[in-house]
Amino acid sequence: MAEASANSPAVLRGRHDFPEISGRIGSIVLSGRLPRHFWTAFFLCFLLVLLLLYSITYLIAVGVGAYGIDIPVAWGTMISNFVWWIGIGHAGTLISAVLLLLRQPWRASINRFAEAMTLFAVAMAGLFPILHLGRPWFFYWLLPLPNVHMHWPQWRSPLVWDFAAIATYATVSLLFWYMGLLPDLAVLRDRARSRRAQLFYGILALGWRGSAYHWSRYQVVYFLLAALATPLVVSVHSIVSLDFTFAITPGYHSTIFPPYFVAGALLSGFAMVLTIAIPLRWAFSVEDLITVRHMDNAAKLMIAAGMIVAYGYVSEAFFAWYSGEPYERAMMVQRAIGPYAPLFWVMLCLNCGVLQLLWFRRIRRNMPLLFAIAVAINIGMWIERYIIVVTGPSRDYLPSAWGEQSLTWLDFGILFGSIGTFFALVFLFIRILPAITIFEVEEVAEEEGKLR
Amino acid sequence: MSLYGLMAVFADSEALVAAARHMRQRGYRRMDAFSPFPVKELDGILEIPKTRLPWVVLAGGIAGAAIVYALIWYSVEVDYPINAGGRPLHSWPPFVVIAFEAGILGAAFAGFLGVLAANGLPRYHHPVFNAGSFSYASGGKFYLLIEAADPKYRKGVTRGQLTRLGAETVEEVEA
Repeated sequence: MAEASANSPAVLRGRHDFPEISGRIGSIVLSGRLPRHFWTAFFLCFLLVLLLLYSITYLIAVGVGAYGIDIPVAWGTMISNFVWWIGIGHAGTLISAVLLLLRQPWRASINRFAEAMTLFAVAMAGLFPILHLGRPWFFYWLLPLPNVHMHWPQWRSPLVWDFAAIATYATVSLLFWYMGLLPDLAVLRDRARSRRAQLFYGILALGWRGSAYHWSRYQVVYFLLAALATPLVVSVHSIVSLDFTFAITPGYHSTIFPPYFVAGALLSGFAMVLTIAIPLRWAFSVEDLITVRHMDNAAKLMIAAGMIVAYGYVSEAFFAWYSGEPYERAMMVQRAIGPYAPLFWVMLCLNCGVLQLLWFRRIRRNMPLLFAIAVAINIGMWIERYIIVVTGPSRDYLPSAWGEQSLTWLDFGILFGSIGTFFALVFLFIRILPAITIFEVEEVAEEEGKLR
Repeated sequence: MSLYGLMAVFADSEALVAAARHMRQRGYRRMDAFSPFPVKELDGILEIPKTRLPWVVLAGGIAGAAIVYALIWYSVEVDYPINAGGRPLHSWPPFVVIAFEAGILGAAFAGFLGVLAANGLPRYHHPVFNAGSFSYASGGKFYLLIEAADPKYRKGVTRGQLTRLGAETVEEVEA
């Protein structure tokens, strides 16, 4: 399984024994002695959490016009933030589920925080459609609840599908994550010294004792959950893209959207994995558990997904021309030279230009550079979502009604607030739960040990 | 206090597998092994029956999809039929989308709850935790438990056999 040739370094570096692995990963959580820069970073994120709370309060008090949307552009950054965040979540599921099904040993060190990233990204994503509603307190009308209105949701609407898809995705991600955590929670339960920690991890571990009978069933079901999560990821982002394609708006109404959105999700998601993993492995000195091989493979997946996204851009432009529709064509031209042209070209530079640097192994294995590229791709993908959302409606079928969405402080207040909240949750997760899967790393260490 | 069984501690998974195989060949049936990560060979040695949980997951998926599809059908055909532009009330293609999501949700819940139920978890306490040497995954120890209820179990004999198989310690576990 883990053949270590000169070109692909081993999954784990150096020799490891089991007490060392569980001790090192467990002590990050149990000793609670985290470096000062950890808390400094958490404090900065907390300020952004406050910004998010303020922005949301302002948005609800004043109304959705406060963030610059107006007819004809009724969809703004709330929708692009939503698509961006949900895409980031998808890479986490892909890493943990698809790589488990393919029995890739390099998955073990990074799947836990990739899954955590999914959960928190979905939590952030879930906020935006609700904030977008204008009257967010009525969001439960999307649910088939017995109610005094005597009506049902419109089952034929992609918005209702979206609600079902996101709710299912969040729930299944949580179950998959918690199931993967069970054996590690038992490790923490047994390593904990303080009564409070023993109680906390003991209750969460549900009495797991590592019996051979339990492991046998556990593995079967864990694989099945992974097998369920994989089509779920594809269906969720396809449904997200159907929110757009079901409208006949120029630039929305296109059959390339579902695969194009899924690839975009993977590109931005892997970029976010790298954005988190590179500082994480440095700050906690776990470079021998999360190795250059992990980073290298994630970068390769980024370029694979990125090339599909580039194909999506080309295909969008081609079919706008090939459709013969003057408004489709005008929208595409306006995208390149109209009011959003600077953003469009920045997006192309980042998502298609900067991405090409990843073809070079020296760049993929240069951590500061790889981190910079990952951040650039994150920005590029956010711009892409924004461009898709606003350029279509802004150049609709009625040229006299053309208009733009103006970005206001509130757009950025909510965007950066959500980014800060996401990272604050990641920090809390690192503090409370093992960020690296103990039992799977031990399994990999044993297999590598046998090969020596 | 009655006796639950004998717990032998091994340093690595190979020793555990070898010991489990030996004890099995000697005719012991009521035994269990504990390891910090799954050890594949144990399934065959302990003759762990193939789990039926995949069928539970399938049933959960079908149930989830069917219930939600039925709900939608009931809402458009029975409870609130509304003719919009002469389109069919029962327009199945869009309904399949939500039914699919509900199917995944049902299957995932069936799998998660099924594995907990089959394993008897959550469980407040289990006799193996009475063993002083048993600290699950305190750092990669491997345990073999022979239950006192096993017909072949003889206090001194079983202990001697386990010690000869290379156990680091052998301990009596209270029930």
